[in-house]
Amino acid sequence: MDVLLAILSQFGLYGLLTVGIATVFAALRVVNLAHCDFAMIGAYAAATLIGFPFGWRVVLVLGATIPLLVVIERVLLRRSRADGLGSMLVTWGVGMALRQLAEVSFGATPRSVTAPVDGSVTVFGASGPAYRLVCSLIAVAVIGLVLLAAHRTRWGLTLRAVADNPSMAGLLGTDPNRLRTTAFVAGGLLAVLAGALYSPTLAVSPTMGFSLLVPVFFALLFSRPGSLATAALAALGVSALAVLLRTRLSDVVADALFYVVVFGIAAARSRPSIRRFFSWSRRFAVGSARSPR
Amino acid sequence: MVPSFRRRVCALSALILFSATGCAGAAISGSGDADTGGPLKIGVIVPLTGPVGQSGTALRQGFELGVAKVNDAGGIGGKQVEFVVADDAGDPANSTQLARRLIQQDKVSVLFGTITGDTADAVTKVSDDHRIPFFTAILGDPERCSAYQWRFGESTRQLLTPMLPWLLQQHGARVAIVGSDYNYPHLYAGLAKELTQAGGGTVVAEEYSPLGQTDWQPVITRLKAANPDVLLSMVVGADAIAFSQQAQQFGLLTPELGFEGAPLDADYHPALSALTTGRRHAVRWADGMPDPASRRFVADYRAKYQWNQPIPEVAGNAYFGIQFVLAAAAKAGSDPVAINREVGSLRFDSPLGAGTHFAPENHILQADMSAVTISPDGYPVTAKFGPVADTVPREGC
Repeated sequence: MDVLLAILSQFGLYGLLTVGIATVFAALRVVNLAHCDFAMIGAYAAATLIGFPFGWRVVLVLGATIPLLVVIERVLLRRSRADGLGSMLVTWGVGMALRQLAEVSFGATPRSVTAPVDGSVTVFGASGPAYRLVCSLIAVAVIGLVLLAAHRTRWGLTLRAVADNPSMAGLLGTDPNRLRTTAFVAGGLLAVLAGALYSPTLAVSPTMGFSLLVPVFFALLFSRPGSLATAALAALGVSALAVLLRTRLSDVVADALFYVVVFGIAAARSRPSIRRFFSWSRRFAVGSARSPR
Repeated sequence: MVPSFRRRVCALSALILFSATGCAGAAISGSGDADTGGPLKIGVIVPLTGPVGQSGTALRQGFELGVAKVNDAGGIGGKQVEFVVADDAGDPANSTQLARRLIQQDKVSVLFGTITGDTADAVTKVSDDHRIPFFTAILGDPERCSAYQWRFGESTRQLLTPMLPWLLQQHGARVAIVGSDYNYPHLYAGLAKELTQAGGGTVVAEEYSPLGQTDWQPVITRLKAANPDVLLSMVVGADAIAFSQQAQQFGLLTPELGFEGAPLDADYHPALSALTTGRRHAVRWADGMPDPASRRFVADYRAKYQWNQPIPEVAGNAYFGIQFVLAAAAKAGSDPVAINREVGSLRFDSPLGAGTHFAPENHILQADMSAVTISPDGYPVTAKFGPVADTVPREGC
């Protein structure tokens, strides 16, 4: 049970970040390299707005970040949209600027955030910090709501249509600029929420987003473009792999083995026979989903 | 569509690798005329930016006040001491380049600074090649001794020798060690094991984790299972905060558990004071030292730099360390080899101890150690250990 709670906690963090970056990728076709730095913004808000209750700090930073995200998408990304690699480099620059701004504003010394919920809880015989469980459950609930929105709302339908074929979606009347802005804001807010929620368990520093980048990008690599559900599943897989290896082995060995396994899976997936297998599986899945109708 | 996605992820991987290899720039701040017959000139190489920028800034500020104190008293040989500050951003490649530039272009007679071990090693190679003395102020032990490198920071042996017996006596004999996975924490653990066994204790757990760890639950679970009485932590940087917080949240870090190591340093006080207040910590210098020279330094530091938090130990080591160097230069003149020779034989009185001097076997400063009891406001000294020797020979001296 300890292991399950650890996976749940890790999935809450990686899941919010991965679903956020996958949302941005679906609409903009850009890997947002500043994504985890948005989490740093959320964490610094939790660390510095100490005059407000923790919940209000989260709400305030989410509200305050929306204009920033809109400006980044409209001013910086829209101009370079024709070139995917150019846009990616722009996001790299945005990340660097955010880190430098944080260092100038708050210094390089890491900060801590007091957890809003004290004490420990016991779940099926496994005890752990109460706040860790609370923030994990909130994160999983938010991920569930985002997936629900992606599959049960008109916005989600449009997002999936643009992800699948942006030209066709545009011809059918979708306003691509509006969708890109809303997707960038929604994805960025998920990262800000992740940083703010998990700040009491992390060290808040200008470079904290960088250490979250690697697992999130691995999860993005294993997800299907445009499918937020596979992004969440990939985040769950990466979280489970990391926790299980570190539970059984020393951290140093587990860390090395984690990369071996991840690169092994990535290499295996790129083999033509395995890619064809996945492609056929998807056709059968789509076919069986359509057959009752 | 999928291949395009993969191309982007591949490009991303290349960018991450590019960043990880470190391509930070460096900048020179301040300047002075290169003049071998002029006033003594010192080159200061510190990370003013990057992950250890806060420690580098503290070192620079302590150094500046130390030089100002000597200059206010008339300087060296009737001339004001000059210095040039260079930011290496904590990158050894920058440190090497800057050390060469300071020696060859700025004609400095002495090098001072660096925070991390790899940048110190990089500068040491250059200083040895050019026969320019180089002084560090941060704690720690390089693996090798060099003819032109001298260390004002406390060694691991000086740190642990007086503190570990007290921890074993007060808390119990079962010791657990946890550290970040790089050279120094392994060296720290090796000496901790030696001293624990010598003190009748047992090391019941030893854990290392790669830098950048965000989730410490598996490590903490293993440490808890070992049921330690004392926890020695050399988890550093932002990881020290995450580990200490999670150790408390998971019930490992209780008031009954003895706790010593990097997280108790003044650098982490703003983030961890709630966890470390009331704990005892071994130091060479702390801002709560009661002697007049330390109190004057603390007052000057707070006034000049508008600093309200505890002053990092490295600032005090740099302040008193540069006064030691300048006392040697007052006798030897501005010739680097003569200064190096004089530093090796000088005995200097300061709040770091009476008659402080460098051991010829390892170039480690033989000075006093103290214990502080951490308070919400700072690091008041609550016990004096007196001189703590470390004369274990190092290869190279």
